[in-house]
Amino acid sequence: MTLTGALEDYLETILVLVREHGFARVRDIAKARKVKSSSVSPALRRLNEMGMVNYVQREYVGLTDSGERAARRVLARHDILTRFFSEVLQMPKEASAQEACAMEHSLSPEAMDRFVRFFEFLHICQEGKRDWLARFQCCPIVQDDLTSCEHACNLINEKNHPMKENSMSVSDLLPGQTGKISQIIAKGAVRQRLLDMGILPDVIIRVERLAPAGDPVWINIKGAQMALRRKEAKAILVSET
Amino acid sequence: MKFDLQNRHLEAKNTYKIALAGNPNSGKTSLFNALTGARQHVGNYPGVTVEKRTGFCISNQLRFEIIDLPGTYSLTSYSPEERIAQDEILSGRYDVVMVVVDSTTLHRSLVLMAQIMLTGAKLVVCLNMSDEARRAGQRIDLDQMQTLLGFPVIETIGHRGVGVQPLLDAIQAALISGTEKPRLVLGEQLDGALAAIQSKLDLGGFHPKTLGWICSRLLVKDKIYEDKIQREAGNAMAVDEARRQRQIIESQTGVDISLFVTERFFGFVDGLLKEVVRQPSRLDARALSDHIDKVLVHRFFGLPIFAGVMLVIFWLTFTLGETPMDWIETGFGHLGDWLSGFWEEGSDSPLRSLLVEGIIAGVGGVLVFLPNIVLLFFGLALLENTGYMARAAFLMDRIMHRFGLHGKSFLPMLTGFGCSIPGIMATRILENERDRLTTMLVLPLMSCGARLPIWMLLIPAFFPPNFHAVMLWLIYAVGIILAFILALLLRRSIFKGEDAPFVMELPPYRLPTTKALVQKMLERSWLYLRKAGTVILGISILMWLITAYPKPDKYQIDADTASGKSIEPTSQDIESQRAFENLRHSIAGRLGRLIEPIVQPLGFDWKVATGMIGAFAAKEVFVAQMGIVYSMGEVDEGSESLRDALRRDYPPLVGLSLMLFLLIGTPCMATFAIVRRESGKLKWALLQFGGLTLIGYLVSLVVYQIGRWLV
Repeated sequence: MTLTGALEDYLETILVLVREHGFARVRDIAKARKVKSSSVSPALRRLNEMGMVNYVQREYVGLTDSGERAARRVLARHDILTRFFSEVLQMPKEASAQEACAMEHSLSPEAMDRFVRFFEFLHICQEGKRDWLARFQCCPIVQDDLTSCEHACNLINEKNHPMKENSMSVSDLLPGQTGKISQIIAKGAVRQRLLDMGILPDVIIRVERLAPAGDPVWINIKGAQMALRRKEAKAILVSET
Repeated sequence: MKFDLQNRHLEAKNTYKIALAGNPNSGKTSLFNALTGARQHVGNYPGVTVEKRTGFCISNQLRFEIIDLPGTYSLTSYSPEERIAQDEILSGRYDVVMVVVDSTTLHRSLVLMAQIMLTGAKLVVCLNMSDEARRAGQRIDLDQMQTLLGFPVIETIGHRGVGVQPLLDAIQAALISGTEKPRLVLGEQLDGALAAIQSKLDLGGFHPKTLGWICSRLLVKDKIYEDKIQREAGNAMAVDEARRQRQIIESQTGVDISLFVTERFFGFVDGLLKEVVRQPSRLDARALSDHIDKVLVHRFFGLPIFAGVMLVIFWLTFTLGETPMDWIETGFGHLGDWLSGFWEEGSDSPLRSLLVEGIIAGVGGVLVFLPNIVLLFFGLALLENTGYMARAAFLMDRIMHRFGLHGKSFLPMLTGFGCSIPGIMATRILENERDRLTTMLVLPLMSCGARLPIWMLLIPAFFPPNFHAVMLWLIYAVGIILAFILALLLRRSIFKGEDAPFVMELPPYRLPTTKALVQKMLERSWLYLRKAGTVILGISILMWLITAYPKPDKYQIDADTASGKSIEPTSQDIESQRAFENLRHSIAGRLGRLIEPIVQPLGFDWKVATGMIGAFAAKEVFVAQMGIVYSMGEVDEGSESLRDALRRDYPPLVGLSLMLFLLIGTPCMATFAIVRRESGKLKWALLQFGGLTLIGYLVSLVVYQIGRWLV
C-alpha cells in the first residue's frame, strides 16, 4: 500500500493541526482540506490501516510515530518548494504555496532529494547564495529583457569586496615575506599604474625592506624591484602563498 | 643579425624619423646618445616641462632624425609623459618606433612593446643592457623572437655603444619591409571585442593602422578618446559598441575592464617569453646589489649615510668650485681693467661703462656660477646613474611627502642652499610635473650662498655676539619651515589633485661610464649657459642702466670742495661721495625713494630700498649697494664702518625685518630667468616672484609692527 498524494496531504494537514491544537478533529481536517467530512473518513481509515494515524477518541485523531515522520517529510518538502518559489524565483507568498502544493507530489523522491540538496547549498554556501543568486536576481538581460546588463554584476562585485576586509594587504607583510596578490582595490591613475607595473592578481609579491619610518615599502615583483607608498601598498590585497 | 638590405632602396635624400620609446631606467638615453653622439638638441615639449631630445645620425647614406620620447611604463594617458608618448606615436610622424627594453626586467618592459604593437607603428625592439642580462645567465632566442613578433629584435648595450650598427641596419630593414600586421595575440575575447568596435568605427581622419589602439582605448573608457571620436568622427556608434563589449567582458569575467585588458597584454608577453627564453636569469643575479642595499638603505644607518653622501657632494661642489670661481671673477676683473685702459683715467664714457660695468660684469655674473653648476651636476649625475638617487628618494619620501613633495624633491632643495640656480635645474630629476613645479617655486626659500654675505654684514651689525649663531640658524630655519608650509599650501591650492602614484623603480646598482656622466653634466651646464645666460645677461645690462643713469649734471661734493665747505677731502672721499650722489640720482635711487612709502611699514627707508633693488640683480649686491648708499666706497660684508652706520640708522628690529625680507622676498633675477626657462611658462616665474615678495612683505610687516608694539 503506497502513500498517495492525497493521503500525504491529509498527513500534512493533521500534523499542522496537531501542532496548533494538540489534536485534530475530522471536522477541522475537512475544513482545512476544503472537503466534506464524509470524504475524510475513508482516507483516515486507510491511514489507520497503514499505521500512520490512530483514533484517540471517536472524533479525535493523532499521528503515530511513523505517521509523524512521514508527515514531517511532506511538510518539509512543501516548505522547501514554497521557499524556492518565493525566495529564488521571487514569486508572491500565496502563489508560491499553491505552486508548491501542485508540485510536491509529482516530483520523484530522487528529483526531490537533489532539489533539496541544491537548495541547501544555496543556504549553506554564503558565496553561492551571495554571488550567483544575487547576480541572477538583478541580471537585467533575463529579468527585464534588456540587451545589456549594465554593470549589474559589478555592483554585486563591489558590494562583496568590502567583505574581504579581514584579508591581508602588502602593507601587512614584513620584510622578507611573500604574498600572492588577490585583488587591487585602488582606483583611477594609481590602479592603472600598479597594473602597468605588473602588479596583477595571482602574481607573487615580496616585501624586501622598509624605509626608516616603515614607509615607503620596497617590493619585488618577478625580479623587478620598486618602492610603493604605504597607501598604495594597502590597496594591494594578498593571500598567503 | 643580418638583414638583406640589397635590391630595395630608400630615398637617400629623405630624413627618416625614428621615435625612441621605453621605460624609465631602460637605458634609453644612453642608447640615444650612442646613436646620435653630439648631434642632439634638448628642449621641452610645448607647454609642459617634459624634456624633449632630438638628434641625428647617418647610416648607409641615410639620414635619421631620432626623437627620444619621455620614459613611460605604458601608453595609458594618465600622466603628461604617457600622453605625450602616446600622442607622438599615434601622430604618424614617425617612420619607425624603436622600443628600448631593459633585458633584466623583460616581463614588465615588453608590455609597452605590446601596447605599441597595437598602435600599428613599424617597430624595432632593442633588448638593452643585454650584458647585464647575460651575466645573470639569461639567454634569449633572438631568431625565434623575431619570427614570432614579425619585426627586428636587436641586443644592445647602450652605454658602451654595442649593437648600434645592427640597430641602424634593423631600422633600415624595417623601413624597407612591407606593412605587415603585427602578430599581437590578446586572446579571443579581447581581439573579438576590438574587432567588433572597429567594425562600428568610421575612419574619420584616423590612420587605419591606429584603429586597433583607438578601439582599445574606447574599450577601457578613455574619456579623451570617447570625446575625440564623438566630436571629430561625429559618430557615437563605436562608443556604444565599446560600452556593450565592455559590459559583456565584465559580466563574463567578473573583473573590471582595465584589469582585464592589462592582464591580456601581460598574458601576451608571458606567452612570448615562454617561447623565446632559453634560460632564465639566476635568482641571485642581484645579490651584490642587495648586499650593498643592506648597508646603504639600512633602516637606521640609511639616513645618516645619505646625509654624509650629500655633505661630501656639496663640500666638493663648493670647495672645488671656489678656485675656478675666483679665476673667473679675477679674469673678468682683468678683462674689465684692460678694456678700461682704452679710455683715459677717470673717464665717465658711457660706452666704457656699458662694456665694463654692464656687459663684462653681466657675463661674469653668469659664468661665475658655472663651476658650481658643473660640479654639482656631475655629482647628481653620479647619484642618478649609479642608482643611489632612487634609494635616497626611498629614504626621504616619508618626510617630503608629508609636505606634498616627492622623495626626490629633497636633492634640489638641498642644492638650493648653495645656489638656487643649480637647485632649480636639478628639479629635472623629478618626473612628475606638479612635483617639479612645487619644488621649483619654494626653492628660493632655501637661504642660498649669495645671501650669506648679507647675513654676515647684518647679524653682527644688529645683534650682540652671543646671538650671532642663533640668528644665523634662525634665518635658515625660517626659510626651511616656510618652504615646507608653502609647498603644502601649493599642493592644497594650485597643484591640487591626487598625488601622482609613487611607484618608483629601484634598479640594481650600476657602474656608470665616465662618458655618460660627463655628457649629462655638460648637457645641463650648456643648457644653463645658453638659456638662462642670455636672460641673466639682459637683466644685468638693465640693472646696470638703472643704477648708472641718469647721472647728475654736477656733483654736490665738487661744489662743496670748490667752495671750501668740505675741508680737504681725500680723493677717495670724493669718489665715494660721487658714487653716492650718482646712485641717488639714478633710476634705481629714484625707484628706491619711490617705494620708500611702501616699505616704510617694514621699517625701511629709501637707502635700504635701493639696496634691495640691487639685491634683485644678485643677492650679494645688496652689501655693495649699501656701501655706496653710505658713501663708504667699495665695501665687503666685513666692513665695520658700514655696520656702525647701519647700527646708527636702524634699531635691531629693522635689522630682523630686513633679513626676513631679503630671505623670503624678491628672488634674484637669475632665479626668475631660470624658473621661466625651466617651467616653460612666464606665469610661474611671475607667480614665484610676486608670491614670495608678497609673503616676505607680510612677514616683515607683522614682525616689525608687533615688535614695535612690544618694545
